[in-house]
Amino acid sequence: MKLAHRHTLQAWLFLAPALLLLAAFSFWPVGYGSVLAFTDYSLIRETRFVGLDNFRYIFNNEMFVSGLKNSLMFLLMVPFVQVGAITLAVLVNNRLPGIRLFRAAFYVPVVTTVSVVGIMWGFMFHEQGALNYVMMTLKLVNAPVGWLTNDSLALFAVMFVTLWRGLGWYMVMYLAALQSIPSDMQEAAMLDGANRWQRFWKITVPMLRPTIMLCSILSVLAALKAYQEVDVLTQGGPMNSTFTALYYAYDQGLKHLKLPRALAASFVVSLFCIAIALLCLRYLKPKHR
Amino acid sequence: MQKRSRPLKTRLQLIGHYAVLCAIAVVCVFPFWWTLVTAISTEGNIFAFPPTFWPKAPSFENFIEVFNAIPIWSFFKNSVLIAVFTVFWKLLLCSLAAYPLARLKFRGRKLVFGLILATLVLPSEVNFLVNFITITQMSLVDTYTGVILPNVVTAVAILLLKQAFEEVPQDLIDAARVDGASEWVIFSRIMLPLITPWLATVGILTAVESWNEYIWPSIVMSKPDEFPLSVGVLYLRGTFGSSTRVIAAGTLITIVPTLLAFLFTQRFFMRGMDGAVK
Amino acid sequence: MIKRLLAVFACAGLLAPQAWAAEKIEFWTFSMKPKFTPYFNAVVARYEAQNPGVRIEWIDFPWDVIQTKLVTRIVAGTPPALVSLNVPWADEFARDGLLTQVDGLIAPARASYIPSALDDLRFKGRTYGFPMYSNVAVIAFNTAIFKQAGLTRGPASLDEQLAFARQIAQRTGKAGIAPALSKIDGLFMQQGLAVITDNRAVFNSPQHVALVQKLADTYKVGGLLKESLFAEDNFPAVIDAYKGGRLGMLLAPPTAMQRIRGDAKDIYAITDVAPAPLGPTGIADGGWLVHFAIPKGVPARQLPSVGKFARFLTNDENQLAFARQASVFPTTVKAAADPFFLATPKNAGAAEKAVAAGALSMGHSRTLYVAGIDDYDELRRSLVKAVEAGVTGKQDVKQALDQAVAIWNRKLATLPRH
Repeated sequence: MKLAHRHTLQAWLFLAPALLLLAAFSFWPVGYGSVLAFTDYSLIRETRFVGLDNFRYIFNNEMFVSGLKNSLMFLLMVPFVQVGAITLAVLVNNRLPGIRLFRAAFYVPVVTTVSVVGIMWGFMFHEQGALNYVMMTLKLVNAPVGWLTNDSLALFAVMFVTLWRGLGWYMVMYLAALQSIPSDMQEAAMLDGANRWQRFWKITVPMLRPTIMLCSILSVLAALKAYQEVDVLTQGGPMNSTFTALYYAYDQGLKHLKLPRALAASFVVSLFCIAIALLCLRYLKPKHR
Repeated sequence: MQKRSRPLKTRLQLIGHYAVLCAIAVVCVFPFWWTLVTAISTEGNIFAFPPTFWPKAPSFENFIEVFNAIPIWSFFKNSVLIAVFTVFWKLLLCSLAAYPLARLKFRGRKLVFGLILATLVLPSEVNFLVNFITITQMSLVDTYTGVILPNVVTAVAILLLKQAFEEVPQDLIDAARVDGASEWVIFSRIMLPLITPWLATVGILTAVESWNEYIWPSIVMSKPDEFPLSVGVLYLRGTFGSSTRVIAAGTLITIVPTLLAFLFTQRFFMRGMDGAVK
Repeated sequence: MIKRLLAVFACAGLLAPQAWAAEKIEFWTFSMKPKFTPYFNAVVARYEAQNPGVRIEWIDFPWDVIQTKLVTRIVAGTPPALVSLNVPWADEFARDGLLTQVDGLIAPARASYIPSALDDLRFKGRTYGFPMYSNVAVIAFNTAIFKQAGLTRGPASLDEQLAFARQIAQRTGKAGIAPALSKIDGLFMQQGLAVITDNRAVFNSPQHVALVQKLADTYKVGGLLKESLFAEDNFPAVIDAYKGGRLGMLLAPPTAMQRIRGDAKDIYAITDVAPAPLGPTGIADGGWLVHFAIPKGVPARQLPSVGKFARFLTNDENQLAFARQASVFPTTVKAAADPFFLATPKNAGAAEKAVAAGALSMGHSRTLYVAGIDDYDELRRSLVKAVEAGVTGKQDVKQALDQAVAIWNRKLATLPRH
């Protein structure tokens, strides 16, 4: 007993600063934010407890409800992102000349700050921008398309940019996983006469399963929490069609100072995220502890 | 781990492989190219049909205009300061936290570890509202401290560094303990130097992340002179809405440091991912 | 060493708000840089020279960012002394208790402001801002298209606008006019048709239906420009159409004339200008007042000097100088009556005529918007969609408006009363 715990004091001293900060900025917001979501917190009045009023308001509010729907729409992207990332990882998992350049090219969108991404894709999506030019030259459309100004298209444009940004990140995860697959299994299978396709599905994919699960969870959580791309590309427009649940929280809280509603909205998003994370943890036993 | 190159791999397959890679690479890289062309050209309507894919009348005058128009040196300096302080404190605090988790036995170890893992599950993006209230109550609005503090300790960094510490052979530590060294000495004199590659990895990842951070600094800082580059570039777009070329030039100035850093330190990113996957 | 630096930073952050050396007044504008940097710098220099011991700090933000920054600083308890706002923003902030009322501070200069501008800034009987500049629309029309359509003068009412538009479409095949139907609520109000009465939506009355029906009829014969008719901001498409000679009439502020002059000289040469028709309410179209407000949280002891600076910022001389440079209209009586605005020089092109035409309407300019409702955009969107269905013929006008009224009333019933 004593031997096992003789370092206790020192260990806690080491841990103290980090834990304090985590407590202040990771745990406290969850707790306090959840409580505030049930009040009418405001700068000029005494805060009163108002029960479910804020939630009633936001669920009656078209901007939040369509924002929630849009956030769920973002989930549609997850399979595309994962399949795309796996494909990319497979394509670059070799020693072909120049392959490092390709890996870098695919990862560059990830290391670019989101504000710059917004500006660049703003250029691309402009009515007289590059994308319309290419599409018109290829005779895919007859007139310039308002990617960011047409309320039926804008959300998809924003989703595409989110996909563009995320693909490289997941690719690197899958690449690392692919590279840790022992080569003997592949060689044995080749000796047995399995072709590439069979090897991929029978060996590679099963060995990737943990990574696929991890990446899928992360991707789903990221989709539910998407809002930065909205802020730099469309700011919720046109006609509020690109609101997401968390963007609603950001907009209401920091532009209109309606903090209780913003907190209620972020509470809802948190619930979704925690629910999904818990569900996944139940079905995925963590390998290391 | 190398996929053995099949001796019978046909030329066609190889060309096909490269073709697909190139196509995707174009989609990834084209916006950057476009921005570069726009920033360097000085003639022609940027939104003319057909747009130019190659610079017309190249010159640096747009870049000079950016320097005149906005306090871009300030933005740059702010980004650098924030990044430097973030990296320093993050490495220090997270390695301090990772060491006991990796190498010490103490009461409550499981609990602490669980708490740290829990923050991975918590949706941290939604915390910006309350963190904003907290920062204002601490009077840290419009300060770099306010920008740095919430992000300086992350579970990912702690976990990566914990792994790094676990790779150090136990005998070194035991020998030092037998010699009567205190934990602090073991930590600072032995462990830290031994995990330098990992520190570098986490440091670089943190630096890039901090440089690219946009939402939180834009919430905390309200004076344009104090914006970091990621926020300042949007200020540029807002102020110069109609001078697309100037905006393009400013954008390039923002991303060039990150791109350069990334190109030279690619392996750190890949390695960081390795660690995360494990 | 670094730790010490960090500590210094932290302390600096803590102490800064209290460290007023001289008296410091911080004022914010939006979208003024870079064009008006010299103007504001000059104003600041003049005031500081006349008032030693006062330091003025000017910060300008892009307009899509200024709200967030203002909110941040109000929450932090360190708001700027003055901030430039438009009327809908001011309405919302005032309702939430985030602005300081300025009746006392504006009193010495109250008489110098145009009454309609002050009316814009009165919420619940109190004044919340110092008017700075406003705008008003004029009608520019393509004389060649008019001649071809057999028209000789500008329209004098909305009905005439639509009638002319139909005539233009029938005789020339071109579109006549492109109203901003995403702002149909403002149009209703200008024509004297209330959108909300007693917290209930009333825009499905026979008069409202008739107005939308007229728009639908004009649309059917091609009188309304189809591009971006219901878009959030149809102005870029509309001005492009006019510059390209595809549109007969353009309702726009006088600044637009300068753009036409720069981008399409041939069209500019055949453009004539008339004052925008006043609706039955006597309100001119296109009013948009920008003013300076005092956020909540500015220390009370500072208010007198802030008020003095605000009056200086918005006095006759400065407003005149700004309005001339920016092609907008000042909001003080004396400045608005300046010959620059009223007299049309010889050989006046459309731009100068527009300024004169607008000046005539300035006294009738009000910012039209629906006040007092949170998340108003959501409601407006359902109204615009209903009008779109009715005007394009997809749905019967009365039916569409009825549905929208139902949506509005459901929402209005749940809103807290202010």
